[in-house]
Amino acid sequence: MKNPYRSIEAEVNKVTTETPTIKTFLLKPKEELTFKPGQFMEFSVPGVGEAPFTPSSDSEIKETMEITIVKVGKVTDAIHELKPGDTVGLRGPLGKGYPLTKFIGQDVLVIGGGVGLAPVRTLMYGLFHMRKQLSRLVYRGGCRNPEEFLYRKELEGWMKRDDIDMKITVDQGDDSWNGPVGVVTTIMDDIDVNYKRVKAIVCGPPIMMKFATFKLQELGVRDRNIYLSMEKNMSCGFGKCGHCRIGPYYCCKDGPVFTYDMIRDYPGIWD
Amino acid sequence: MKSKCVFEKADINVLRSDYSNCNYLSDTIIRIIISMNSICSFKPLDKPVSHLYFFAMLFIKRGNLDQLLESLTGDYRVYVPRSMGDGTGYSLLGKSDTNYEIGEIRSFDPLKSFYFLGREKVAEDFKKDILRDDKPPCIVGAKACDLKGFKILDFVFIDDEFGDPTYMKARENGLIISADCTGVGETCFCTAIGIDPWPESEYDINLSPVNDGFIVTMGSEKGLDLVESNKNLFIEATKAQVKAIKQNRSTIKSGVMKRAQEKRIPVADRLKRVIKKKFESDIWKDASEDCVECGACNTICPTCHCFLLYDQKSDGKLARFRIWDSCMIHDFARVAGGENPRDQLWMRFRNRFDKKFSYFPEVLKEIGCTGCGRCIAACPGKIDIREVLARLEV
Repeated sequence: MKNPYRSIEAEVNKVTTETPTIKTFLLKPKEELTFKPGQFMEFSVPGVGEAPFTPSSDSEIKETMEITIVKVGKVTDAIHELKPGDTVGLRGPLGKGYPLTKFIGQDVLVIGGGVGLAPVRTLMYGLFHMRKQLSRLVYRGGCRNPEEFLYRKELEGWMKRDDIDMKITVDQGDDSWNGPVGVVTTIMDDIDVNYKRVKAIVCGPPIMMKFATFKLQELGVRDRNIYLSMEKNMSCGFGKCGHCRIGPYYCCKDGPVFTYDMIRDYPGIWD
Repeated sequence: MKSKCVFEKADINVLRSDYSNCNYLSDTIIRIIISMNSICSFKPLDKPVSHLYFFAMLFIKRGNLDQLLESLTGDYRVYVPRSMGDGTGYSLLGKSDTNYEIGEIRSFDPLKSFYFLGREKVAEDFKKDILRDDKPPCIVGAKACDLKGFKILDFVFIDDEFGDPTYMKARENGLIISADCTGVGETCFCTAIGIDPWPESEYDINLSPVNDGFIVTMGSEKGLDLVESNKNLFIEATKAQVKAIKQNRSTIKSGVMKRAQEKRIPVADRLKRVIKKKFESDIWKDASEDCVECGACNTICPTCHCFLLYDQKSDGKLARFRIWDSCMIHDFARVAGGENPRDQLWMRFRNRFDKKFSYFPEVLKEIGCTGCGRCIAACPGKIDIREVLARLEV
């Protein structure tokens, strides 16, 4: 019988400092470990603890994965201390991920915020791989300030592509910033998609997801077409430990991606 | 499949006289039905099938039961209820140990503690398996409410992809010797949840106390095997004994019903609707006022299954422990970023009811409460689940 509590050993290959509080870790699992965009991993520092994170790398790359992590607590503090060569644990993939096949032939609008840009990066790679099968592809991203703009070079590269309508805004600009200033909902009014049919994907801090969802509703996007990447306290990651329940669902097992119509009636979804 | 019926000749006829409406079933048909159903305690028995087993009733004297249990200690960790204050609590059966009581009602401790330990190592380093050579558990004197608890825990922990290996192993290899209730506890309300105070399924053999022994019924292949291989310890039950246990069952059931009615608990099939209707009510704030967030209700509950994975270094090795958690504690659902969907105590209190009376009925068609009343007895704030349910109905 498989032990679902067991982590796979992985080696830290590279650590990239993205911002003063965010680092990206390139990991090489010692056993085969693949995932789909939107699925997550339980990342553990041996003897310290584990926490759930969605990888930020291309899911087509099988040998390694990247995970981008903000320093917010006990486990992430220990993760931020990691150096290349260190041993860590990975348990997963967990959760269902994005239903990419449902996006075929559709307009796709991706809205990312803050460190939510990390899992969105995996999704974007996935969408670029299937770009020919999609109709319009739009990306709206936001972060607090240019310093916290994750993967800035890479994203600025995407902006030059002609198969995507992409904009990034910051809440507060600085001298280096020529782009729009304001929260992400302020750059959502010029989107050229069929709102009745568009698949909208939102990933970011709860407060940003909440207002982006309301904005999408205002624009006429249907609740069943709004895909939210929910964040809840998770321990086991497979629907047994009881922490992440949302109504009849477990965020880990049935999500973490939910359409808004599935969860809109349950309390505390934005908290 | 090999027929494993232990009852021969007369016993079916003796017992059938009590079930005149089933007279059309021939002995052969009963035997075929039983042997064709591949039943073990691992999976719930169909109610009609367990009724058929009821035909095969045997009697075992207390002294012979002592002997049977002693013989089981070779293959099992046998847990027996022992007199403790005004009730019973479980502990391991020793050698030549006959100091146990098939209690009148459920024990103080929930049976989950033998299948899903309060603190258990579930992974070590990056090893694929954890070596565990302990014998499977055999629980003696489990009551109907305890068995209902397994329906919930089985749903949670048994699955192909992410099943809990230790729970599944204990359920698959364990043995359950259940028993009828012979008393009505102060906090008992199983009938309000739709449970009868005697086991109907989920057991291997059941004991119905009568005079100086027990009527024995078999609820699974494993139970049949056990009886077959210890044939000499059993005799046929008499008609009078069967009548006596039927009488006990009906007396106890009406006793529990009376107590539940006094508490005005909404009827079982209304509970989910009642919770949904009163979800935004002020009752939750008011009812949770005396809660001190100790988590005793969670710990003592036979269906509460929430846990936390906890990593530590032990003996120079990396170890992952699965420890019981409590949804009443403030940080249960708090995320690392600080958001907490159930920041207020009343929200956590409501969540506990929602999980038991709305979530489980929705996903499993079973109420996540067994009516055992342990949480009422354990609560230092004297919060009574029956009273909260009754208030919701108003």
